[in-house]
Amino acid sequence: MSSSTIDYGKTKTFLIDTTKCTGCRGCQVACKQWNQLKGEKTTFFTGEGYQNPPQMSEFTFTRVKFKDYEKHGQNEFAFYKEMCMHCNDPACASVCPVGAFHKTPEGPVIYNAKKCIGCRFCMVACPFGVPKYEWSKAFPLVKKCTGCYSRVKNGLHPACATACPTAITYGSRDEMLKEAEKRMAAKPDRYFKVIYGKEEAGGTSVLYLTQQPLDELGFRPVTKRPLPSYTWQALRFVPGIFLTVGGTLSLVTWFQHRKDRVRREEEERNNRKEGNQ
Amino acid sequence: MTAARIVINEIKGYHRFIKFMMVLVGAAALASAVRFIFGLGATTNLNDLYPWGLWISFDVVTAVPLAAGAFTIGIVAHVFHIKKLEPLVRPAIVTGFLGYSLVCVGLLLDLGQPQRGPYVLFNWNVHSPMFEVSMCVMAYTTVLFLEFLHPVSERFGWHIPLRLLRTLELPFAILAAMISTLHQSTLGTFFLIAVDKLHNLWYNPLLPLQFWLSAIFTGLSIVIFEASLVHKYMGQPDESDLLATLTKIIPWIMGVYMLVKVYALAFLSHGPLFDRPVLTALFSVEVVVGLLIPFSMFLTKRIRTDKQMQLRAASLVITGLVLNRFNVSMFAMHQPGQPAYFPNFIESVVTIGIIAAHILFFVLVAKYFPIFEHHPEATDYTIPDRFRKIEQHGEGHGKASEA
Repeated sequence: MSSSTIDYGKTKTFLIDTTKCTGCRGCQVACKQWNQLKGEKTTFFTGEGYQNPPQMSEFTFTRVKFKDYEKHGQNEFAFYKEMCMHCNDPACASVCPVGAFHKTPEGPVIYNAKKCIGCRFCMVACPFGVPKYEWSKAFPLVKKCTGCYSRVKNGLHPACATACPTAITYGSRDEMLKEAEKRMAAKPDRYFKVIYGKEEAGGTSVLYLTQQPLDELGFRPVTKRPLPSYTWQALRFVPGIFLTVGGTLSLVTWFQHRKDRVRREEEERNNRKEGNQ
Repeated sequence: MTAARIVINEIKGYHRFIKFMMVLVGAAALASAVRFIFGLGATTNLNDLYPWGLWISFDVVTAVPLAAGAFTIGIVAHVFHIKKLEPLVRPAIVTGFLGYSLVCVGLLLDLGQPQRGPYVLFNWNVHSPMFEVSMCVMAYTTVLFLEFLHPVSERFGWHIPLRLLRTLELPFAILAAMISTLHQSTLGTFFLIAVDKLHNLWYNPLLPLQFWLSAIFTGLSIVIFEASLVHKYMGQPDESDLLATLTKIIPWIMGVYMLVKVYALAFLSHGPLFDRPVLTALFSVEVVVGLLIPFSMFLTKRIRTDKQMQLRAASLVITGLVLNRFNVSMFAMHQPGQPAYFPNFIESVVTIGIIAAHILFFVLVAKYFPIFEHHPEATDYTIPDRFRKIEQHGEGHGKASEA
């Protein structure tokens, strides 16, 4: 993986300030348009709460989740834009047997459909449940948010960030972290004291600011360690174990067969002696 | 009579049970054709929440350790050179070869792009457990195929391959153990990435070691299981004396496994262990039925002579392993509050067909090839003297009939 040489501070990052989100879902529409994704036939209230479609899918790379809560006896909404987190050290890239995913130096984690064999390990591995599958096809592939890599490479901002009137700021990760901390310092009452994505899964290229505690909004509690390190701590032993097992068993073989050989030679010697007598 | 007629007549003579197995395999073949026409979404209950279902949990994650008999008995008989166990090796190799071939079939059905399977050979990602398992399964299936050629060459009288394979028996046994160690353990590594998904009762960094150890003692139990059934239903000689040797080895490995499991559970797990009653129940069944009961049975003296008890203990070990692999790959991956996954009719038909195919091919191979009659000391491994190079000097020991 080439991701080890990437300067994460410079990768392009989304800062999503959920306190400023109005729930207009312009990002959802922009995403569908830019990526030419089909509309889904959905029914209201099939998921939890007011959000529609009920979940991300092969046709929906991003969507705004609605969360009801009560403030001063009034019903209020909190919104949370769900999308690929574009991890610094992505689990999907590490588990893919053919290396179909990679973290680009620009920031987005992109997927190469031409390599994919369709094993769905990325879907099992992703701590955020992002990669989705083309279940309707006989020879399906994986689908996920591309971080609008084609736009970013050409100096544009991603479609959702461009469409968003209030909540999404887009820029280098260092700047976005600084900006987030500045906002938290300026209005301490407005923000919950954690930037989601700063350390989650080893750091991601999507950062969230919220007012409510994260779990109340439906953010998944995710480990702070980069996920690939969990499998690598076992996989790094592979060459060593391969050779150790081979070497040990060869030694055992030699020793066990030697016992046999020695016994046979002794028998032969005895036979010869008996023959001489 | 035409060739087709001969085949049909031959099949007509088979036992009813074999014919039933053939029907099951045929049904599975039809069901898998449906998968390629209508897609995975229409034929399975898989969805974005459950990307892996019965086909991965059973056909891959469980079937691989169940096919571990070949490499474990290979180590015991060839590496540790316990010669008397050699009659057990060949049936185990046939089981292993069939097992791995069917793992490949199951995997190809489950892949979205099965025609791209060989891409793994050209796009290496050494960070991927799936890459490692794919490479190992391909390599080991090849080794097993070569080992399986042994009885085939014997059957058709191919002397030179037979001699060559006899010489390679030991290197192959070691190679098999090397490759198996890697992929049996790496199947456990698969689930290390599921940090916040797999329940704490099973999630710990020693999962690969546990998968490897349980594959070894299950592999040996499979050998007992298979030899007992073959004696019972296929009229083969009673091998319970040989199996007694295995019943002495198994409890040692089970003991180490249980120590590792207890250690990992006590010191390496994070978070609450017994917070979900269903998982607690599954865990207790796995430990009691699959480990403690068979372990205590293996410790008794009676098991060395009692055929029934050998079969029962082996069956319990196998049940425990199946439950363990399902717990790790399916039940404990379920998140509270999510709808549960159940395999649907087509998925089940395919998996049942794969099990039936295993039994069917095993019986057929045993019917047409020298699998059980193999006693190395009685086999002629010499190369016939076709060119009369040796006989000129009056030392000929080639087979007269072949000259």
